[in-house]
Amino acid sequence: MENMVNYDPSFAEEVFRDVDAGDEIKMCMNCGVCAGSCPLREHMDYPPRQIFGLIRAGKREEVLSSKAIMLCTSCYTCVVKCPRNIPVMDVMHGLAHYALKQGYVPRKDTASFGKEFWKQVYRLGRIDEKDLPRRVFFSGGLVEGIKAMLNFMDIGLRLMLHHRMKLLPERKIKGVKSLQKMLDKAEGLGKGGAAA
Amino acid sequence: MDKKTAVYICTGCGIGDALDIEQLKEEGTEDFTIDITRDHPFLCGQEGVDLIKQDIEGEGINTVIIAACSHRVNYDLFNFGQGVIVQRVNLREQVAWSQPAGEEDTQMLAEDNLRIGCSQAKDTELPEPFKAEEEYSKDILVVGGGLAGMTAALETARAGYQAILVEREDRLGGFLGKMKKLITLPYKEVSEPGAEELIKAIEDEPKVKVYTSSTVEKISGGPGLYTVEIKSNGNGVSERVGAVVQATGWVPYDANKLGHLGYGKFKDVVTNVEMEEMAASGKITRPSDGSDAKNVLFIQCAGSRDPEHLPYCSSACCLVSMKQAGYVKEQNPEAVNYILYKDVRTVGQAEDFYRKAQNDGNIFIRGEAANVGEEGGKLFVEADDELLGERVKIEDLDLVVLAVGMVPASKPDTTPRIKAPADAEDADEDGMIEVVPDSGFFANSALNLDYRQGPELPTLKYGFPDSHFICFPYETRRTGVYSAGCIRRPMETAKAIDDAVGAAMKAIQCTEATAEGKAVHPRAGDTTYPEFNMQRCTQCKRCTEECPFGAINEDEEANPLPNPTRCRRCGVCMGACPERIISFKNYSVGMIGNMIKSVHVPEEDEEKPRVLCLICENDALPAVDMAGIKRMKWSPYVRFIPMRCLGSMNLVWIADSLSRGIDGILLLGCRHGDDYQCHFIKGSELAETRLSKVSETLDRLALESERVKFVEVGITDYHKIPAIIDEFMETIDEVGPNPYKGW
Ligand code: SF4
Ligand code: SF4
Ligand code: SF4
Ligand code: SF4
Repeated sequence: MENMVNYDPSFAEEVFRDVDAGDEIKMCMNCGVCAGSCPLREHMDYPPRQIFGLIRAGKREEVLSSKAIMLCTSCYTCVVKCPRNIPVMDVMHGLAHYALKQGYVPRKDTASFGKEFWKQVYRLGRIDEKDLPRRVFFSGGLVEGIKAMLNFMDIGLRLMLHHRMKLLPERKIKGVKSLQKMLDKAEGLGKGGAAA
Repeated sequence: MDKKTAVYICTGCGIGDALDIEQLKEEGTEDFTIDITRDHPFLCGQEGVDLIKQDIEGEGINTVIIAACSHRVNYDLFNFGQGVIVQRVNLREQVAWSQPAGEEDTQMLAEDNLRIGCSQAKDTELPEPFKAEEEYSKDILVVGGGLAGMTAALETARAGYQAILVEREDRLGGFLGKMKKLITLPYKEVSEPGAEELIKAIEDEPKVKVYTSSTVEKISGGPGLYTVEIKSNGNGVSERVGAVVQATGWVPYDANKLGHLGYGKFKDVVTNVEMEEMAASGKITRPSDGSDAKNVLFIQCAGSRDPEHLPYCSSACCLVSMKQAGYVKEQNPEAVNYILYKDVRTVGQAEDFYRKAQNDGNIFIRGEAANVGEEGGKLFVEADDELLGERVKIEDLDLVVLAVGMVPASKPDTTPRIKAPADAEDADEDGMIEVVPDSGFFANSALNLDYRQGPELPTLKYGFPDSHFICFPYETRRTGVYSAGCIRRPMETAKAIDDAVGAAMKAIQCTEATAEGKAVHPRAGDTTYPEFNMQRCTQCKRCTEECPFGAINEDEEANPLPNPTRCRRCGVCMGACPERIISFKNYSVGMIGNMIKSVHVPEEDEEKPRVLCLICENDALPAVDMAGIKRMKWSPYVRFIPMRCLGSMNLVWIADSLSRGIDGILLLGCRHGDDYQCHFIKGSELAETRLSKVSETLDRLALESERVKFVEVGITDYHKIPAIIDEFMETIDEVGPNPYKGW
């Protein structure tokens, strides 16, 4: 039969071995509670349970290029609800990192935002609310950047009015060197390491 | 017995406030000979109980009528020993708590209830427990020497009773003896099956007598008095026992019927039982070429939960496949196991073993097998993967294991035929007829009971013995015969052990109760039994056919031959007998008839209808009590007459009541059908069948058929009681008063 999925356990083995929290999905019993409770499921191409099903079936391409793994907003609902105590969210993030590392870019904007966010935390020890959006907006070129800036102008002005956004650039936190050491160490502990 | 009767009316619990007690004493007892009538504000208190005791001792009172709370409470306080008849009259739940205080109708209800009680007490005699002439045996026969049978025998012996264990094969052990490993409580790891140890324990136990290569040829008699004929290695032996445990186990579902899953077509498609035997004998290999099996796929529910094959879940095969997947990984850590399932059903703590199987890396695929095939010497399975919503293919398989379900050993391959009775409609040319599972003629030979209703236990549609599933699981429809293990329902080993212990204990209880002339479940301790006034018997056979427990045999002249120790005291025979010659010391057609007659029926112009409610005392009556406790209200025109079982309802009561001017008759009994709740299995169903014949009576009296109604209620339906009654009262209102009033 055409289009029939051939089960291939090698991708599951790869995930168990190389993806952060990847081996947790062994314990998934396909109940679907995670998918049912995920607030983003309408936007996902495959809800979490199906991602796990695809991994089991060996559909490497579908999983690593899926939007779903990039869309997880860390709301924790699935983690709280999973009857098998699977940290579904960690698995989703683990897969996202792994996908990026393997050269897949399922959602470019999400990926570049994540990268810039991470870089800034690493450099300053905090987020600069003006600098981060600016970098993200202009990552697609000058014209794109200006369009995006105009789009968000309203919000920006109001934030400033309510003293939620400072005009001057943020400074580094004290002891940012120590923070960087900690982050480096943490990165070394992960299976694949952080994506940035 | 010369009766000296006293009536005690309790005025506590709101009864005194609801009723005119003096008038009640007067009106409620005037038709009867009552020696003492007293009231007390707190009858169940020490002072109240002492008052009664004083009258028993000082005045020689031997019949005590207590008009107070429901008979379901305080029965221990109002127990004055073997020689005193106690009659309870409900003035609390059914009167004071469910009717408005001080009303004329409430008062009339209380007076009728007291009259009914006085009438019942008048006709009650002290029971004399049945005592057989032969000596009673308390030994237990266990049929079947697998895990359940061995456990039952051993538990019997350890409780101090002699067990006789009969096994068909030449050695004990059953399926347990064929297993490589066992998965049981606490479901963390597999363990040794332990068959050898169990067999050794039985051999070392002086109180277990083992017959291997033996079959039971005949069991005659009844509980406490069974004679068992055993054919052992060709020789006949005879034993006397008091009760029987049937633990004849299961057989796997016939995989030859599973051709669509490749069985019989590909050598490397095997059943879970074949897999177990292969593993136990050493190595898991491909039957086609003898090479080691590495990639294995288990098809769960192979034939199970499938209306075409076994419609039910066997509840053990999920666990078994996980255990066997462990064997494969143990043999080769690189092996890959796929488990293709509809749902995983590892109940309770067994879920832990499911987790372990997942953690060990076995791949669980939710879906159904669509096709099994072969490619280049290896098997493949195509399945509809429910998660992916696609057809998937799993290739390169060495072995496909079909997790087949359990069929009770009692289930015959083809429905047996017996000689049809003369009046049967669907008999074939040779006068033969197919038997129904519900009869004692359906099951495969195991017990060979010398019962008129057939040699084996009546079964349910899938071949498991019929039992009251919720309340009395080990009971069967043959008193003194208990079923345990996979013959009772499919189960795994831990449950089979529980079952065996439970059934052994029930069997022991039965021998003890029988020796004292007492009934077993559900009328445990009842010392009455049906007595037959044989001179008037017309040999109509209704009693022998309708007794749900096969208690009545037949002699050569076709007379009914009651076996009191087989009797559950349901009274179904009493309800069946058209000649009304079957009665108990405290329950008879005449007695109930008199109770009905004691109800005062007001004249038509008083506009107070009277409705009789014949009510099953097992579930429906407690439900009414419960409704009273919840202070629910219902019509004051209903009079409740409790029945041992609605199956004991005799149609003559209906005819008599209607001809006396009672406006309607409501029957409240247990649910019947596939999920019956009747404590006597067939009682409420028989009552409804009998009722269908009541229309003749109604026609003869020219009365409307709506006047008689049967309603099924469960014990949890108490909240529906008021509505059931009110609805019926409306109907009665519509059809109008019974024209026979005042005749
Ligand atoms: S809730 Fe947990 S067990 Fe259920 S499908 Fe999601 S991950 Fe699997
Ligand atoms: S125990 Fe599992 S395999 Fe067996 S019938 Fe039930 S669900 Fe199917
Ligand atoms: S009382 Fe019930 S069990 Fe006993 S003989 Fe009659 S019908 Fe059978
Ligand atoms: S039902 Fe009554 S009349 Fe008929 S056989 Fe039994 S005892 Fe005799």
